[in-house]
Amino acid sequence: MKFIPLVWAAIRRKPSRSVLVFAQVIVAFALFGALQGVTSGVNRAIAAARADRLYVASKLDQRGALPISMLESLKTIPGVRDVAFRYQFYSTYQRPEQGVPICATDPDSFLTVYGPARVDPASAQSAMRQVQDGAIVGLGTMRKYGWRVGQRVTLQSKLKRMDGSGNWTFEIVGTWGSPRQSGPQPELLIANYDYVNQSLPEGPGRDTFKFAVLRIDDPAHAAQVKEMIDSKFENSPNETLTQSEKDQAEVNLRRLGDLNTVAHRIVGATFFVLLFATGALMMQSIRERTPEIGVLKTLGFSDRRVMTLILVETLVLYLAGAAIGLWLGVLLLPVARESIGNISVPSSVFALGFACAVALALAGGGVAAWRGLRLRVADALANR
Amino acid sequence: MRALRRIWLLTVTAISSIPQRLGTSAVIVISITAVTGVLVAMLALGQGLRELARADVRADQAVVLSAEAESAVQSSLPKTILSSISDKPGIKRGSRGEPEIFGAAFMYMDVVSRESRRSPVSFYFVTPGFWDIDSGARIVEGRNVRPGLRELVVSDVIRRRFRRMNVGDQVRIRGTSWQIVGVFDSKSLQDWVIGDADTMLAAFPRSTFNTVNVIVESPAAFATFKQAVINDPTLAATVMTQAESNDAVLRPQRELFDFISYVLGGLMGLGAACGALACLYASVDARTREIGTLRAIGFGNVSVVISVLAEGMLLAIPAALLGAGIDWYLFNGHVVVAQEITFPMAVTGRLALISVLWSLGIALIGGILPSIRAGRLPIAVALKAS
Repeated sequence: MKFIPLVWAAIRRKPSRSVLVFAQVIVAFALFGALQGVTSGVNRAIAAARADRLYVASKLDQRGALPISMLESLKTIPGVRDVAFRYQFYSTYQRPEQGVPICATDPDSFLTVYGPARVDPASAQSAMRQVQDGAIVGLGTMRKYGWRVGQRVTLQSKLKRMDGSGNWTFEIVGTWGSPRQSGPQPELLIANYDYVNQSLPEGPGRDTFKFAVLRIDDPAHAAQVKEMIDSKFENSPNETLTQSEKDQAEVNLRRLGDLNTVAHRIVGATFFVLLFATGALMMQSIRERTPEIGVLKTLGFSDRRVMTLILVETLVLYLAGAAIGLWLGVLLLPVARESIGNISVPSSVFALGFACAVALALAGGGVAAWRGLRLRVADALANR
Repeated sequence: MRALRRIWLLTVTAISSIPQRLGTSAVIVISITAVTGVLVAMLALGQGLRELARADVRADQAVVLSAEAESAVQSSLPKTILSSISDKPGIKRGSRGEPEIFGAAFMYMDVVSRESRRSPVSFYFVTPGFWDIDSGARIVEGRNVRPGLRELVVSDVIRRRFRRMNVGDQVRIRGTSWQIVGVFDSKSLQDWVIGDADTMLAAFPRSTFNTVNVIVESPAAFATFKQAVINDPTLAATVMTQAESNDAVLRPQRELFDFISYVLGGLMGLGAACGALACLYASVDARTREIGTLRAIGFGNVSVVISVLAEGMLLAIPAALLGAGIDWYLFNGHVVVAQEITFPMAVTGRLALISVLWSLGIALIGGILPSIRAGRLPIAVALKAS
């Protein structure tokens, strides 16, 4: 404990150099935190996806339209508890880059299947039955555009209404947010299917949905239920492709390619540079301090203790830098959320980060410490 | 002129003493090499997509999509639309008066790769008109598909990546059997399997194309054709040039890759700038007496400042080129599958230029403070330095 002032004095000896080493460590660990956070978050999101929620979509058409009449037969499949459906289209609010995904559905069954979702106010769900053009809006979108409950919003979509315009107006009756990570995006605007469907022009787009969402009794039966649904509609005009939410999460999140390999290579390159840069700076620091080390040894500090002092100095810089860097890296993650979806960072990332920090500090400071250990008093005092 | 000569002399002095400061100079070179290496490798993904969107694009090819579609992937057009579009003005006609037009429908299906992994393959079903226009695709082995028969031709990339995708093999698509009869070569369709659209639409309960493509008489006739299609309410369709359509399909992925590249490159660059800063400070410290002497014999402080900056930059440029060069050796043409698109990464001169600019930025940020310190060193103090 009594050596703390010595370590502190060594760090403060040349503040600019210490600050720069510190900054490099922070940046490297911010990168580590962000990259490792994304990959572990992705892996965790896949693990957390629900296996008891199945998605039924059209197998043939990319745009995936299925007739609304199919829902009744889906309900009769054994093992299926609840059935909801989603007719989705994309819209923008005021500016082309401000997107709002719209999901036209039956709000009651939708909220049952994705339960427990928090709807605020609680009366919003019944209000949807009264207000034909009502909408329950995800908290993500509410915050992004500063919308309030009761407000009427007009959104622009390439999906045309019967009168030929692409303007869709909704009255916000409530908000919703799902406490779980999995499930639909927090940006989704939920609208009444009947209202949207009746506004569509006559034609093939009417009375259809993009995919059905089923909740089944037992995740263990997912494979059987999938098989039953797909074989039931095989060779019909509406062949289906059924996937569990887990399958979908895996496909969606793995689409970025082999994330793990890329992240490991970048982190590897960063740490290599960090090791080299801090190692060289520590060496230089020891060279400048040679006479001081000689004084320490003259005063009776053992070789081992001098080595420990130098290592502790590096460790302090690394651990403090790693703590700040990891924290910053995690702060960066919401930027990635736009493209990858809602993910969170498991604590193992922090543990791994600190382990790396210790290893790098010992390796980077080790060479310098070794030199300090080997210095002979007479040489050191003469600065040879 | 004399000022330039002085700066040059000082820079040469600084560079010639680099061997005595090998450690700190190597730190600058290695960290900039690593930063530009990562930056260029990531940018090579976006660049690969950019090259893919540009490959084999014809200025006179127009792509018809359904009105609300953002890109060909979301587009869906009834197959009867082919004949209604054929009548529109502006379409180029062949010697017998037939319009140069074809319908295309895509499908993605899982196929087992050589590593026994299931991965999606794009199937592109086209009407016979496709083979009459010059799309850049040509048969290099076997023969072309015949209309009405369940036959497929595969690209060379697909043949190499997947099992049982050689000429003579059978592919099962939704319970029906299709024969591979040939291999084609194309820059823009290199990860596709091509079949006959009429056969496919008859075989499966599907009745829509994704796009209808036409060759217009001249790039100027494009506007005529576009207006005619948009103004026809029965079509509910819109028109893009082939370049726009390719770009619409690939843009989201490209923007994502570029965004990630610059975030990573920026962060790593920040770290490298700190490293360069520390190293150039060390270099100025090591040369304190030398700088003092030079100042004493009459070199101005501006030339000293610029020579320190130049030292950093002269280290940075070869380092950036080294980073880009390593990437070029490792990754140029390396075929990757990301976001269900198969494409070769491209390390181009543009990326080398970006890496040089990036490294100069790093060297400049890292060099400013140390160079000012060198310029402001009092001569008397500097000469007394140990």
